[in-house]
Amino acid sequence: MIIVTKSDVSDAEIDHIRERIESLGMRTHLSRGERRTIIGCIGDESLLDEVPLRSLPGVESVTPVLKPYKLASREFAADRTVVRVGGRDARAEFGGREISVIAGPCSVEGRDMLLSTAREVRQAGASMLRGGAFKPRTSPYAFQGLGEQALRLLVEVRAATGLPVVTEVMDTRQVDLVAEHADMLQVGARNMQNFSLLAELGRVRRPVLLKRGLSATVKELLMAAEYIMANGNHDVVLCERGIRTYETATRNTLDIGAIPVLKRESHLPVIVDPSHAGGDAELVAPLAFAAIAAGADGLIVEVHPDPERALSDGDQSLAPTGFATMMQSLAAFAAAAGRTMGTPAEARAVA
Amino acid sequence: MSDGHGTGERESATAELARCREEIERIDNEIVSLLARRLKLGKRTGDLKRAAGLPILDPTREAAVIRRVTGVARDAQLPTEPIREIFWQIVGMSRRVQEQTSESL
Repeated sequence: MIIVTKSDVSDAEIDHIRERIESLGMRTHLSRGERRTIIGCIGDESLLDEVPLRSLPGVESVTPVLKPYKLASREFAADRTVVRVGGRDARAEFGGREISVIAGPCSVEGRDMLLSTAREVRQAGASMLRGGAFKPRTSPYAFQGLGEQALRLLVEVRAATGLPVVTEVMDTRQVDLVAEHADMLQVGARNMQNFSLLAELGRVRRPVLLKRGLSATVKELLMAAEYIMANGNHDVVLCERGIRTYETATRNTLDIGAIPVLKRESHLPVIVDPSHAGGDAELVAPLAFAAIAAGADGLIVEVHPDPERALSDGDQSLAPTGFATMMQSLAAFAAAAGRTMGTPAEARAVA
Repeated sequence: MSDGHGTGERESATAELARCREEIERIDNEIVSLLARRLKLGKRTGDLKRAAGLPILDPTREAAVIRRVTGVARDAQLPTEPIREIFWQIVGMSRRVQEQTSESL
Protein backbone atom coordinates (compact mmCIF):
# COMPACT_ATOMS: atom_id res chain seq x y z
CA MET A 1 0.00 0.00 0.00
CA ILE A 2 1.27 3.47 -0.77
CA ILE A 3 -0.02 6.70 0.67
CA VAL A 4 0.46 9.90 -1.32
CA THR A 5 0.31 12.91 0.96
CA LYS A 6 -1.12 16.35 0.25
CA SER A 7 1.41 18.89 -1.01
CA ASP A 8 1.08 21.00 2.16
CA VAL A 9 1.43 18.04 4.57
CA SER A 10 3.22 18.87 7.85
CA ASP A 11 5.94 16.83 9.56
CA ALA A 12 3.56 16.18 12.46
CA GLU A 13 0.91 14.82 10.07
CA ILE A 14 3.47 12.51 8.44
CA ASP A 15 4.62 11.32 11.89
CA HIS A 16 0.99 10.63 12.83
CA ILE A 17 0.25 8.63 9.67
CA ARG A 18 3.39 6.54 10.15
CA GLU A 19 2.63 5.93 13.82
CA ARG A 20 -0.86 4.67 12.96
CA ILE A 21 0.56 2.20 10.43
CA GLU A 22 3.50 1.12 12.60
CA SER A 23 1.12 0.52 15.54
CA LEU A 24 -0.18 -2.43 13.53
CA GLY A 25 3.27 -4.03 13.48
CA MET A 26 3.99 -2.81 9.92
CA ARG A 27 6.87 -0.65 8.79
CA THR A 28 6.85 2.50 6.68
CA HIS A 29 9.21 3.95 4.12
CA LEU A 30 9.24 7.66 3.35
CA SER A 31 10.12 9.02 -0.08
CA ARG A 32 10.18 12.79 -0.51
CA GLY A 33 10.12 14.00 -4.10
CA GLU A 34 10.11 17.47 -5.53
CA ARG A 35 6.35 17.55 -5.94
CA ARG A 36 4.99 14.83 -3.69
CA THR A 37 5.80 12.73 -0.67
CA ILE A 38 5.00 9.04 -0.52
CA ILE A 39 4.67 6.80 2.51
CA GLY A 40 5.07 3.14 1.58
CA CYS A 41 3.65 0.47 3.90
CA ILE A 42 5.54 -2.79 4.31
CA GLY A 43 4.06 -5.87 5.98
CA ASP A 44 0.74 -7.69 6.11
CA GLU A 45 -1.53 -5.29 4.20
CA SER A 46 -4.76 -6.88 5.44
CA LEU A 47 -4.01 -5.23 8.83
CA LEU A 48 -4.56 -1.82 7.19
CA ASP A 49 -8.30 -2.51 6.87
CA GLU A 50 -8.58 -1.41 10.51
CA VAL A 51 -7.28 2.10 9.81
CA PRO A 52 -9.35 4.71 7.93
CA LEU A 53 -6.24 5.81 6.04
CA ARG A 54 -8.03 8.14 3.64
CA SER A 55 -9.46 10.21 6.46
CA LEU A 56 -6.14 10.82 8.25
CA PRO A 57 -5.03 14.46 8.02
CA GLY A 58 -2.54 15.09 5.23
CA VAL A 59 -3.51 12.05 3.12
CA GLU A 60 -4.24 12.73 -0.54
CA SER A 61 -4.70 9.18 -1.86
CA VAL A 62 -4.17 5.54 -0.91
CA THR A 63 -3.24 2.95 -3.54
CA PRO A 64 -2.58 -0.76 -3.13
CA VAL A 65 0.68 -2.09 -4.65
CA LEU A 66 -0.27 -5.37 -6.26
CA LYS A 67 3.28 -6.37 -7.20
CA PRO A 68 5.33 -8.67 -4.98
CA TYR A 69 8.17 -6.13 -4.87
CA LYS A 70 7.40 -2.99 -2.89
CA LEU A 71 10.53 -0.97 -2.08
CA ALA A 72 11.87 -1.60 -5.60
CA SER A 73 8.60 -0.68 -7.33
CA ARG A 74 8.17 2.59 -9.21
CA GLU A 75 5.09 3.44 -7.13
CA PHE A 76 7.05 3.44 -3.87
CA ALA A 77 9.34 6.33 -4.82
CA ALA A 78 8.32 9.90 -5.44
CA ASP A 79 11.12 10.34 -7.99
CA ARG A 80 13.61 8.11 -9.80
CA THR A 81 16.49 7.08 -7.60
CA VAL A 82 19.96 8.44 -8.27
CA VAL A 83 22.59 6.12 -6.78
CA ARG A 84 25.75 7.93 -5.73
CA VAL A 85 28.98 5.95 -5.57
CA GLY A 86 32.27 6.79 -3.87
CA GLY A 87 33.26 9.83 -1.87
CA ARG A 88 34.69 13.26 -2.40
CA ASP A 89 37.94 12.09 -3.97
CA ALA A 90 36.39 9.60 -6.41
CA ARG A 91 32.71 9.68 -7.26
CA ALA A 92 30.17 8.57 -9.86
CA GLU A 93 26.39 8.45 -10.04
CA PHE A 94 23.74 6.39 -11.80
CA GLY A 95 20.22 7.38 -12.72
CA GLY A 96 20.67 11.09 -13.34
CA ARG A 97 20.81 12.82 -16.72
CA GLU A 98 24.35 11.64 -17.38
CA ILE A 99 25.21 8.24 -18.79
CA SER A 100 27.85 6.63 -16.55
CA VAL A 101 30.22 4.04 -17.96
CA ILE A 102 32.13 1.52 -15.84
CA ALA A 103 35.12 0.00 -17.62
CA GLY A 104 38.10 -2.18 -16.80
CA PRO A 105 39.46 -5.70 -16.99
CA CYS A 106 37.44 -8.81 -16.25
CA SER A 107 40.04 -9.78 -13.63
CA VAL A 108 42.74 -7.77 -11.92
CA GLU A 109 45.89 -9.47 -13.21
CA GLY A 110 48.51 -7.10 -11.80
CA ARG A 111 49.34 -3.50 -10.91
CA ASP A 112 50.66 -2.30 -14.27
CA MET A 113 47.80 -3.63 -16.36
CA LEU A 114 45.21 -2.26 -13.95
CA LEU A 115 46.76 1.19 -13.73
CA SER A 116 47.30 1.54 -17.48
CA THR A 117 43.75 0.33 -18.23
CA ALA A 118 42.31 2.71 -15.64
CA ARG A 119 44.16 5.69 -17.11
CA GLU A 120 43.06 4.86 -20.64
CA VAL A 121 39.40 4.28 -19.83
CA ARG A 122 39.33 7.48 -17.78
CA GLN A 123 40.81 9.36 -20.71
CA ALA A 124 38.05 7.91 -22.91
CA GLY A 125 35.30 9.11 -20.53
CA ALA A 126 34.66 6.20 -18.16
CA SER A 127 33.51 7.32 -14.72
CA MET A 128 34.25 4.12 -12.80
CA LEU A 129 36.71 1.23 -12.82
CA ARG A 130 35.76 -2.44 -12.70
CA GLY A 131 38.10 -5.31 -11.91
CA GLY A 132 37.42 -8.78 -10.59
CA ALA A 133 39.23 -9.93 -7.44
CA PHE A 134 37.18 -13.06 -6.73
CA LYS A 135 36.05 -14.71 -9.96
CA PRO A 136 33.13 -17.12 -10.22
CA ARG A 137 34.39 -19.38 -12.97
CA THR A 138 32.41 -22.20 -14.52
CA SER A 139 35.46 -24.46 -14.21
CA PRO A 140 37.26 -24.94 -10.88
CA TYR A 141 40.51 -25.23 -12.87
CA ALA A 142 40.19 -21.78 -14.50
CA PHE A 143 41.95 -18.68 -13.05
CA GLN A 144 40.10 -17.79 -9.82
CA GLY A 145 41.29 -14.21 -9.35
CA LEU A 146 43.96 -12.60 -7.16
CA GLY A 147 41.63 -12.12 -4.18
CA GLU A 148 42.77 -9.75 -1.45
CA GLN A 149 45.83 -8.70 -3.41
CA ALA A 150 43.53 -7.51 -6.21
CA LEU A 151 41.45 -5.53 -3.70
CA ARG A 152 44.57 -3.69 -2.53
CA LEU A 153 45.52 -2.93 -6.14
CA LEU A 154 42.05 -1.54 -6.81
CA VAL A 155 42.41 0.83 -3.85
CA GLU A 156 45.81 1.92 -5.09
CA VAL A 157 44.59 2.60 -8.63
CA ARG A 158 41.50 4.39 -7.31
CA ALA A 159 43.80 6.81 -5.47
CA ALA A 160 45.99 7.28 -8.54
CA THR A 161 43.13 7.92 -10.99
CA GLY A 162 40.18 9.24 -8.96
CA LEU A 163 37.95 6.51 -10.41
CA PRO A 164 35.69 4.77 -7.87
CA VAL A 165 35.88 0.97 -8.10
CA VAL A 166 33.36 -1.86 -8.32
CA THR A 167 34.22 -5.50 -7.76
CA GLU A 168 32.27 -8.69 -7.29
CA VAL A 169 31.53 -10.24 -3.92
CA MET A 170 30.80 -13.97 -4.20
CA ASP A 171 30.25 -15.03 -0.63
CA THR A 172 28.76 -13.68 2.59
CA ARG A 173 32.16 -14.20 4.26
CA GLN A 174 33.75 -11.71 1.85
CA VAL A 175 31.23 -8.90 2.25
CA ASP A 176 33.03 -6.90 4.96
CA LEU A 177 36.43 -7.34 3.34
CA VAL A 178 35.25 -6.22 -0.09
CA ALA A 179 33.19 -3.34 1.37
CA GLU A 180 36.35 -2.04 3.08
CA HIS A 181 38.10 -1.73 -0.26
CA ALA A 182 35.51 -1.12 -2.99
CA ASP A 183 33.10 1.78 -3.56
CA MET A 184 30.41 -0.48 -5.01
CA LEU A 185 29.76 -4.20 -4.56
CA GLN A 186 28.73 -6.35 -7.49
CA VAL A 187 26.47 -9.37 -7.25
CA GLY A 188 27.21 -11.59 -10.23
CA ALA A 189 24.57 -13.21 -12.40
CA ARG A 190 25.22 -16.61 -10.81
CA ASN A 191 24.55 -15.21 -7.34
CA MET A 192 21.43 -13.17 -8.12
CA GLN A 193 19.27 -15.50 -6.04
CA ASN A 194 21.81 -16.20 -3.30
CA PHE A 195 19.42 -14.81 -0.72
CA SER A 196 21.79 -14.95 2.25
CA LEU A 197 24.33 -12.90 0.25
CA LEU A 198 21.61 -10.41 -0.76
CA ALA A 199 20.48 -10.05 2.86
CA GLU A 200 24.07 -9.48 3.99
CA LEU A 201 24.50 -6.75 1.36
CA GLY A 202 21.37 -5.12 2.73
CA ARG A 203 23.30 -4.40 5.91
CA VAL A 204 26.25 -2.77 4.15
CA ARG A 205 26.54 0.97 3.54
CA ARG A 206 27.80 0.58 -0.03
CA PRO A 207 25.82 0.70 -3.28
CA VAL A 208 25.19 -2.67 -4.90
CA LEU A 209 25.39 -3.49 -8.60
CA LEU A 210 22.93 -6.36 -9.04
CA LYS A 211 23.33 -8.38 -12.24
CA ARG A 212 20.39 -10.26 -13.69
CA GLY A 213 20.72 -14.04 -13.47
CA LEU A 214 21.24 -16.08 -16.64
CA SER A 215 17.71 -17.45 -16.52
CA ALA A 216 16.03 -14.93 -14.26
CA THR A 217 12.86 -13.06 -15.17
CA VAL A 218 12.52 -9.30 -14.71
CA LYS A 219 10.27 -10.02 -11.73
CA GLU A 220 12.91 -12.27 -10.13
CA LEU A 221 15.55 -9.56 -10.64
CA LEU A 222 13.31 -7.02 -8.91
CA MET A 223 12.60 -9.48 -6.07
CA ALA A 224 16.38 -9.88 -5.62
CA ALA A 225 16.68 -6.08 -5.40
CA GLU A 226 13.81 -6.12 -2.89
CA TYR A 227 15.84 -8.50 -0.69
CA ILE A 228 18.74 -6.05 -0.48
CA MET A 229 16.42 -3.09 0.09
CA ALA A 230 14.26 -4.84 2.69
CA ASN A 231 17.43 -5.40 4.72
CA GLY A 232 18.19 -1.69 4.76
CA ASN A 233 20.31 -0.85 1.71
CA HIS A 234 18.35 1.17 -0.84
CA ASP A 235 21.27 1.96 -3.16
CA VAL A 236 20.82 -0.72 -5.80
CA VAL A 237 21.71 -0.44 -9.50
CA LEU A 238 20.16 -3.11 -11.75
CA CYS A 239 22.20 -4.63 -14.58
CA GLU A 240 20.90 -6.43 -17.68
CA ARG A 241 23.71 -8.69 -18.98
CA GLY A 242 21.99 -11.01 -21.44
CA ILE A 243 19.88 -14.08 -20.78
CA ARG A 244 20.16 -17.69 -21.90
CA THR A 245 18.17 -18.48 -25.03
CA TYR A 246 18.37 -21.09 -27.79
CA GLU A 247 20.63 -18.76 -29.83
CA THR A 248 24.28 -19.86 -29.92
CA ALA A 249 25.75 -17.19 -32.21
CA THR A 250 25.98 -14.88 -29.19
CA ARG A 251 27.11 -15.91 -25.69
CA ASN A 252 23.79 -14.68 -24.27
CA THR A 253 20.89 -12.75 -25.75
CA LEU A 254 20.80 -9.12 -24.62
CA ASP A 255 17.24 -8.47 -23.47
CA ILE A 256 16.78 -4.92 -24.74
CA GLY A 257 13.09 -5.02 -23.86
CA ALA A 258 14.02 -5.52 -20.19
CA ILE A 259 15.46 -2.00 -20.06
CA PRO A 260 12.24 0.00 -20.64
CA VAL A 261 10.28 -2.60 -18.63
CA LEU A 262 12.61 -2.25 -15.62
CA LYS A 263 12.43 1.53 -15.89
CA ARG A 264 8.64 1.35 -15.92
CA GLU A 265 8.41 -1.13 -13.03
CA SER A 266 11.13 0.32 -10.79
CA HIS A 267 12.65 3.64 -9.72
CA LEU A 268 16.12 2.06 -9.58
CA PRO A 269 18.81 2.89 -12.18
CA VAL A 270 19.39 0.30 -14.93
CA ILE A 271 22.71 -0.33 -16.65
CA VAL A 272 23.75 -2.85 -19.30
CA ASP A 273 26.75 -5.16 -19.70
CA PRO A 274 27.27 -5.52 -23.47
CA SER A 275 30.49 -7.54 -22.98
CA HIS A 276 28.90 -10.58 -21.30
CA ALA A 277 25.73 -10.28 -23.37
CA GLY A 278 27.50 -10.74 -26.69
CA GLY A 279 30.61 -12.61 -25.55
CA ASP A 280 32.41 -11.11 -28.54
CA ALA A 281 34.41 -7.87 -28.71
CA GLU A 282 32.86 -7.01 -32.09
CA LEU A 283 29.37 -7.00 -30.59
CA VAL A 284 30.16 -4.73 -27.63
CA ALA A 285 29.71 -1.36 -29.39
CA PRO A 286 26.45 -2.14 -31.24
CA LEU A 287 24.90 -3.64 -28.10
CA ALA A 288 26.05 -0.63 -26.06
CA PHE A 289 24.45 1.76 -28.59
CA ALA A 290 21.17 -0.18 -28.48
CA ALA A 291 21.18 -0.17 -24.66
CA ILE A 292 21.61 3.59 -24.42
CA ALA A 293 19.02 4.18 -27.14
CA ALA A 294 16.58 2.02 -25.14
CA GLY A 295 16.99 4.18 -22.04
CA ALA A 296 19.76 2.53 -20.00
CA ASP A 297 21.43 4.78 -17.40
CA GLY A 298 24.90 3.41 -18.01
CA LEU A 299 27.13 0.57 -19.12
CA ILE A 300 29.69 -1.82 -17.68
CA VAL A 301 32.30 -2.79 -20.26
CA GLU A 302 35.30 -5.12 -20.16
CA VAL A 303 38.52 -3.47 -21.35
CA HIS A 304 41.90 -5.21 -21.32
CA PRO A 305 45.24 -3.68 -22.40
CA ASP A 306 45.99 -6.83 -24.41
CA PRO A 307 42.80 -8.90 -24.86
CA GLU A 308 44.71 -11.74 -26.56
CA ARG A 309 46.66 -12.37 -23.37
CA ALA A 310 43.81 -11.84 -20.88
CA LEU A 311 43.56 -14.54 -18.19
CA SER A 312 39.75 -14.49 -18.48
CA ASP A 313 37.13 -13.32 -20.96
CA GLY A 314 39.68 -12.18 -23.58
CA ASP A 315 37.27 -12.79 -26.46
CA GLN A 316 34.78 -10.23 -25.25
CA SER A 317 37.21 -7.58 -23.98
CA LEU A 318 37.82 -4.41 -25.92
CA ALA A 319 41.32 -3.00 -26.28
CA PRO A 320 41.58 0.59 -24.93
CA THR A 321 41.54 2.06 -28.46
CA GLY A 322 38.36 0.16 -29.31
CA PHE A 323 36.78 1.40 -26.09
CA ALA A 324 37.71 5.02 -26.88
CA THR A 325 36.18 4.73 -30.37
CA MET A 326 32.98 3.28 -28.92
CA MET A 327 32.74 6.07 -26.35
CA GLN A 328 33.02 8.71 -29.07
CA SER A 329 30.19 7.18 -31.10
CA LEU A 330 28.10 6.65 -27.96
CA ALA A 331 27.64 10.41 -27.44
CA ALA A 332 25.23 10.66 -30.40
CA PHE A 333 23.06 7.81 -29.04
CA ALA A 334 23.04 9.43 -25.60
CA ALA A 335 21.95 12.75 -27.12
CA ALA A 336 19.18 11.00 -29.10
CA ALA A 337 17.91 9.48 -25.84
CA GLY A 338 17.91 12.92 -24.19
CA ARG A 339 20.99 12.13 -22.07
CA THR A 340 24.52 13.45 -21.79
CA MET A 341 27.80 11.59 -21.51
CA GLY A 342 29.65 11.94 -18.20
CA THR A 343 32.47 14.43 -18.00
CA PRO A 344 35.77 12.57 -17.99
CA ALA A 345 37.29 12.36 -14.50
CA GLU A 346 40.31 14.36 -15.64
CA ALA A 347 38.21 17.35 -16.71
CA ARG A 348 36.30 17.12 -13.41
CA ALA A 349 39.50 17.13 -11.39
CA VAL A 350 40.63 20.33 -13.10
CA ALA A 351 37.29 22.06 -12.60
CA MET B 1 47.62 18.29 -2.88
CA SER B 2 50.16 21.09 -2.33
CA ASP B 3 47.54 23.86 -2.22
CA GLY B 4 49.26 26.15 0.24
CA HIS B 5 49.10 24.13 3.47
CA GLY B 6 52.41 24.53 5.31
CA THR B 7 54.09 21.80 7.34
CA GLY B 8 53.11 23.48 10.64
CA GLU B 9 49.47 23.69 9.63
CA ARG B 10 49.47 20.05 8.59
CA GLU B 11 51.03 18.93 11.90
CA SER B 12 48.48 20.81 13.98
CA ALA B 13 45.66 19.38 11.85
CA THR B 14 47.02 15.85 12.46
CA ALA B 15 47.19 16.48 16.20
CA GLU B 16 43.65 17.88 16.22
CA LEU B 17 42.44 14.86 14.24
CA ALA B 18 43.90 12.51 16.86
CA ARG B 19 42.12 14.47 19.63
CA CYS B 20 38.82 14.30 17.72
CA ARG B 21 39.20 10.54 17.34
CA GLU B 22 39.82 10.10 21.07
CA GLU B 23 36.67 12.11 21.80
CA ILE B 24 34.72 9.98 19.31
CA GLU B 25 35.89 6.84 21.10
CA ARG B 26 34.76 8.24 24.45
CA ILE B 27 31.33 9.04 22.97
CA ASP B 28 31.10 5.53 21.45
CA ASN B 29 31.82 4.06 24.89
CA GLU B 30 29.03 6.18 26.33
CA ILE B 31 26.61 5.07 23.60
CA VAL B 32 27.38 1.41 24.33
CA SER B 33 26.92 1.82 28.08
CA LEU B 34 23.67 3.74 27.52
CA LEU B 35 22.47 0.88 25.30
CA ALA B 36 23.36 -1.59 28.05
CA ARG B 37 21.29 0.46 30.50
CA ARG B 38 18.39 0.64 28.06
CA LEU B 39 18.44 -3.12 27.48
CA LYS B 40 18.51 -3.77 31.23
CA LEU B 41 15.36 -1.66 31.56
CA GLY B 42 13.88 -3.59 28.64
CA LYS B 43 14.45 -6.82 30.54
CA ARG B 44 12.78 -5.30 33.59
CA THR B 45 9.74 -4.15 31.55
CA GLY B 46 9.54 -7.69 30.15
CA ASP B 47 9.25 -9.08 33.67
CA LEU B 48 6.68 -6.43 34.61
CA LYS B 49 4.61 -7.13 31.48
CA ARG B 50 4.50 -10.79 32.41
CA ALA B 51 3.56 -9.95 36.01
CA ALA B 52 0.74 -7.72 34.70
CA GLY B 53 -0.38 -10.40 32.24
CA LEU B 54 0.41 -8.20 29.22
CA PRO B 55 1.85 -9.47 25.91
CA ILE B 56 5.60 -8.87 25.31
CA LEU B 57 5.08 -7.64 21.76
CA ASP B 58 3.43 -4.21 21.84
CA PRO B 59 3.53 -2.61 18.35
CA THR B 60 1.53 0.42 19.51
CA ARG B 61 4.15 1.23 22.15
CA GLU B 62 7.00 0.62 19.65
CA ALA B 63 5.39 2.97 17.12
CA ALA B 64 4.97 5.61 19.83
CA VAL B 65 8.65 5.27 20.85
CA ILE B 66 9.74 5.72 17.22
CA ARG B 67 7.45 8.70 16.69
CA ARG B 68 8.73 10.37 19.86
CA VAL B 69 12.43 10.02 18.94
CA THR B 70 11.65 11.21 15.40
CA GLY B 71 10.40 14.46 16.94
CA VAL B 72 13.42 14.72 19.27
CA ALA B 73 15.78 14.19 16.31
CA ARG B 74 13.95 16.79 14.24
CA ASP B 75 14.17 19.34 17.08
CA ALA B 76 17.91 18.62 17.28
CA GLN B 77 18.09 19.21 13.51
CA LEU B 78 19.32 15.70 12.82
CA PRO B 79 18.21 13.75 9.73
CA THR B 80 15.14 11.82 10.94
CA GLU B 81 15.20 8.74 8.67
CA PRO B 82 18.60 7.38 9.82
CA ILE B 83 17.64 8.06 13.46
CA ARG B 84 14.43 6.10 12.94
CA GLU B 85 16.45 3.20 11.48
CA ILE B 86 18.80 3.19 14.47
CA PHE B 87 15.87 3.20 16.90
CA TRP B 88 14.06 0.40 15.10
CA GLN B 89 17.24 -1.63 15.70
CA ILE B 90 17.27 -0.64 19.38
CA VAL B 91 13.56 -1.39 19.81
CA GLY B 92 14.15 -4.78 18.14
CA MET B 93 17.08 -5.56 20.48
CA SER B 94 14.97 -4.62 23.47
CA ARG B 95 12.12 -6.84 22.31
CA ARG B 96 14.48 -9.81 21.93
CA VAL B 97 15.86 -9.27 25.44
CA GLN B 98 12.31 -9.23 26.81
CA GLU B 99 11.49 -12.46 25.00
CA GLN B 100 14.67 -14.17 26.24
CA THR B 101 13.61 -13.72 29.84
CA SER B 102 10.33 -15.48 29.14
CA GLU B 103 12.23 -18.55 27.84
CA SER B 104 14.47 -18.71 30.89
CA LEU B 105 11.51 -18.66 33.29
